[in-house]
Amino acid sequence: MIAGKLYYLILLLFSTGIVSVFFTRSNAKLTNYTAHSIALVGSTLAILCASFVFVQGQVDVALPMALPFGPIGGRIDYLSAYFLLMIGVVGVATTIYAFAYSQEYYHCRLPLMAGLYNTFLLSMVLVVTVSHVVAFIMAWEVMSVVSFLLVNHEYEKKSNTRAAYIYVVMTHLGTIFIITAFLLLVGGTGSMDFSQLKGNLVSENVRNIIFICALLGFGTKAGMVPVHIWLPRAHPAAPSHISALMSGVMIKTAIYGMCRFFLEFLGPGPVWWGILILVLAIITAVIGALYAFIEHDIKRVLAYSSVENIGIILLGIGAGMVFMSKQEPFLAGMAFAAALYHVFNHAIFKSLAFMGAGAVLQAAHTKDIEQLGGLIKKMPYTAVFCLVSSLAIAALPPLNGFISEWLTFQGLLFLPQALAGITGKAFSALLMALLGLTGALAAACFVTVFGITFLAKPRSKQAKEAVEASPVMLVAMGMLATLCMALGLWPGAMLAIVSQTLMNFPGIDSNGLASHNWSVVAAPTNQSDGGISTVVIILLLLSGCVVAIVLHSLFGKEKVVAGETWTCGIIPNYHMEYTATGFSKSIRLVFKSIVHSHYETVVNSNDNQYHGRKLFYHVRIRYLFVSVFYNPINKGIIRSARFMKSIQTGSVQMYVGYIMVVTVVILIWSTGW
Amino acid sequence: MLSLIQVLGVILLAPLVAGIIKTVKAMLQNRRGPKVFQVYFDLIKLLAKDSVVSPTVSWIFKLAPYIYFASTAAAAALVPVVASQSSGLGDVFTLIYLLALGRFFLVLASLDAGSAFGGMGGAREMFIAILVEPALLLSMMTIAFKAQSTNLGLMASSVESSSLSLAYVFAAIAFFIILLAETGRIPVDNPDTHLELTMIHEGMILEYSGRSLALILWASAAKQLIMMLLFIVLFLPGNIFGTVMLSDIALKVLLVAVAIGIAETSTNKLRLFKVPSFLAVSCILSLLALVAQ
Repeated sequence: MIAGKLYYLILLLFSTGIVSVFFTRSNAKLTNYTAHSIALVGSTLAILCASFVFVQGQVDVALPMALPFGPIGGRIDYLSAYFLLMIGVVGVATTIYAFAYSQEYYHCRLPLMAGLYNTFLLSMVLVVTVSHVVAFIMAWEVMSVVSFLLVNHEYEKKSNTRAAYIYVVMTHLGTIFIITAFLLLVGGTGSMDFSQLKGNLVSENVRNIIFICALLGFGTKAGMVPVHIWLPRAHPAAPSHISALMSGVMIKTAIYGMCRFFLEFLGPGPVWWGILILVLAIITAVIGALYAFIEHDIKRVLAYSSVENIGIILLGIGAGMVFMSKQEPFLAGMAFAAALYHVFNHAIFKSLAFMGAGAVLQAAHTKDIEQLGGLIKKMPYTAVFCLVSSLAIAALPPLNGFISEWLTFQGLLFLPQALAGITGKAFSALLMALLGLTGALAAACFVTVFGITFLAKPRSKQAKEAVEASPVMLVAMGMLATLCMALGLWPGAMLAIVSQTLMNFPGIDSNGLASHNWSVVAAPTNQSDGGISTVVIILLLLSGCVVAIVLHSLFGKEKVVAGETWTCGIIPNYHMEYTATGFSKSIRLVFKSIVHSHYETVVNSNDNQYHGRKLFYHVRIRYLFVSVFYNPINKGIIRSARFMKSIQTGSVQMYVGYIMVVTVVILIWSTGW
Repeated sequence: MLSLIQVLGVILLAPLVAGIIKTVKAMLQNRRGPKVFQVYFDLIKLLAKDSVVSPTVSWIFKLAPYIYFASTAAAAALVPVVASQSSGLGDVFTLIYLLALGRFFLVLASLDAGSAFGGMGGAREMFIAILVEPALLLSMMTIAFKAQSTNLGLMASSVESSSLSLAYVFAAIAFFIILLAETGRIPVDNPDTHLELTMIHEGMILEYSGRSLALILWASAAKQLIMMLLFIVLFLPGNIFGTVMLSDIALKVLLVAVAIGIAETSTNKLRLFKVPSFLAVSCILSLLALVAQ
């Protein structure tokens, strides 16, 4: 099997990439080119390997590792291959981007970063391909630790260190749940091999506990509300190409884990599993979109938007699980296909957006969009690519985000078939309305991000002096932007892959999705008229454009006169432009019960009190989940630590005394007296 | 082919409908309003004029009118009046998201010139859009659940085959509220004002002139007609005014235009932060309609 051989080669290449930095570390340029070239080849091979699996069928590979847990093997089935394909595609783009972006880090521990980059890719490939519990957890841990180190790469900034610290704590809390879920399964089935782990071997209660643990554990990594708080801190702290990988790919490994558990290990479960996921998913989506909109740090906006998109993906998964438990294989297939399609879409457009943000950051040295503006003239190509990603994230036709959002909507529309009665109908209508709200918030959010960053006049000196990103970075962004458009125009290809991915799981039938014309996406119901066709949308838009052009040139050529923007007679300057804070103010006010924003207007009293005063306007956001959920826990921990402190005096005699008391108590207790 | 004819029909007749609403309002306010065809004359006048463009703007500003016009025209093909509803045409989400595409570009263009008016208009437009979206989807769902499809043709025929009930009345009122909000009518926005503090749509397009402005105004009129047609095919089914379909539709459009005129004359504009409660009424009516079905 070619795929198996390719797989070994991928592992070998990434390992070589890690080792290579030790030999090239004296020359930063050499390190950059060697390590990233190796990573590039490795990622390309990952695409090839996944393609071979899709063509030739799944492969089993043995990993020559001597560990005391029995033979550790890998298995690349269609689900693994799907995620491997995603890692490959995004990996290729981020690696090309890294060639140029790493030049910023020539004096900032580049060998370390390049080595960790290879390790990161290697660990993600392993996570989605190994088929042994211990190997999975080891790969998962390596992935977490490496990403922690990468988040903390610029540890000179205190905020980065803090973000990394919160990340590592949260991710390990998640890992505890994952390990618990696995151990319960292993205890019930007596095997550590993925193919032997079957949920129907354990009792109903244990199965429910496994479900909750898996949901919480993987949900933490995915950024599900309320365990999302690490994500908006950690993703912006990492170097941009790493952020792209983390947001685009790493959080999807959690979705992979969920799919493994829910589709393969546990199988169809009770209905409340799906409903619980749906409820969490819609909260995640709305909260993510809302916070993304009111944020004005460009990378934090993108991180919150990742939270939102995880919510949309989970909506698909939740709906799919409801359908699975109610024996609706076709609808379950559609819902899971929506989730998987969105996984891929999000991987592409979010990496693209992070790359765009990185290019802006490199050019203007700030992540605060209030300091930017007018970049469309300085960075025309970056602007186009960012516009493509913004349109895709906002789920607007004819780009790829629209297709998966449409499928998710269809999944929710048919929910009343599984959840009978008025409650089911109202539940699904509310879910759809809130998903619509999410979509509108995302559109508003990316209008702000793009508009404030790229349009109007520059708001600072750095923005004025920005220059276009290097051609290598543009190539990387261009590749992903093209993919965004391709997946939006040619959904048939992606649906074929997705339905092959879901082919072998019980309770799911997604073959109906791929049987249409290449441009048609339709729900698998007996009605033939439903569905959308991307070609039709494009043709309609084009004909509309033609009409517009005809109207525009109806009376000959237009003469354009330049005239300043109307500002009531004052000479316009950048202070008059709308800011992102101003743009989102009405939404902050309407959702004030969730957002808790505090306004502070500071008046500079040194200036004349009556005329020309300087005003500073600050907005502080109190995050709902932090204040109602995490702060009490924090306080509790600190209080108990303070209590412990009083018995921890530091004198050895006291400690000896404690030991003696405990020994005596145990002795008395052991006599059973 | 029929779809393209429908697109042209909607585009050509949209200014007339806008003119009718103006005439109705003028009659109700006891004044002699502009001619019914005045909107056409305005558009033609603008189409013949040259433009003044701020040096601050980028290509987004120049592109936006085309995209806005094209996406509205594309949406016009999806309403089930005469157009065919098969082969991927006529999905309600496509329609909503196409309109959103046009709005996305128009708001971007409003930020492009760097004036506070544009930003204010754009921010408010987005604010209203965010609130309208869930209400709009809810009111669509009242029918989509019954039709088991989001295809507008199937939705329309499922409405026609069912008898009049309280649920539909609720749903119709809910959608009428959205119709007012989405087309920028009083009490949400005032289409006749140029006062900085109250305008939404007008503020957004303040920097446009000449042909681009004509395209935007024309597309807005078309969007208004699309929303009215949606209201008619989904919430005013059956042959109220005779059996000839086109004249029936035309008379229904006239009826809705009169209703909008009356609604606009009998209320005043809401404060911006009262709009959420106004739209919440629509949401609740839709939910009631869902439950009552």
